[in-house]
Amino acid sequence: MNTLWNETARIEAHLSGTATTGDNLLFEANLLLDPTLHDKVQWQQKTYTLITQYGRRQLKKEIEAVHQQLFTAPEHLSFSQKIKRLFTNR
Amino acid sequence: MAATINTDNLPAGSEAFFTRLYKKAFPQVAGYISKRGGSFDEAKDVFQDALLVYYEKAAASGLIINSNETAYLCGIAKYLWLKRYRENSQYTPLDGIDIKLDADAESPSNNRLMHYLETAGKKCMELLKSFYYDEMPLTDIATMFGFSGTRSATVQKYKCLEKVRETIKEKALAYEYFME
Repeated sequence: MNTLWNETARIEAHLSGTATTGDNLLFEANLLLDPTLHDKVQWQQKTYTLITQYGRRQLKKEIEAVHQQLFTAPEHLSFSQKIKRLFTNR
Repeated sequence: MAATINTDNLPAGSEAFFTRLYKKAFPQVAGYISKRGGSFDEAKDVFQDALLVYYEKAAASGLIINSNETAYLCGIAKYLWLKRYRENSQYTPLDGIDIKLDADAESPSNNRLMHYLETAGKKCMELLKSFYYDEMPLTDIATMFGFSGTRSATVQKYKCLEKVRETIKEKALAYEYFME
């Protein structure tokens, strides 16, 4: 149980609240004993935030591609005209 | 009428998913925003944010909505519009919709870091995204990324998580980026 990915998995269980009570106690003890662990926990938390931001950026690109398709492709002309009329005839 | 969002084809089928939602719901959202003096670009922004929120709810799975998806999506869009323009300060948030879009995601150091992750770290980021953001089943992730099974997909996920964590730390310190 000493491989690095297992430590990463334990940090994840600790952060997500899925660790058992016993595992949590052991983790708290490790935090006191290993000065580098706290640092890893902080950066791992930041990593999850960045994964969400990354996911949103990729998704926004996909949505924008759909938008461009709908507002430029000839087969969607009636749809795009219908929308544009909402903003011109008022 | 109860409807369950079908996420079976996500994210591989997301183009068809978004095209369908655009055609069904955007006219209604655009009409609503147009009547309130909003521009086409504002309607587009609000609708795209609503699609993002809707996708995240769908990806988190288990979401059962009590009316049709167009009504649900329009509800999110109206909420985002009202929140954005504070048209009505008495407005109360929709039940169960916790909408938080990134506030500090656009800082220069964050953009630089993101650009790095989108290029040099793309392989790991795509794997981590499918697991944590798209919340795809592990068996699908294993198939999509060519792993022999769910165990090797799990091992690789943690290896990537650790690699990205160390990259972020290194780059963040180099960019003089400070954690909040």
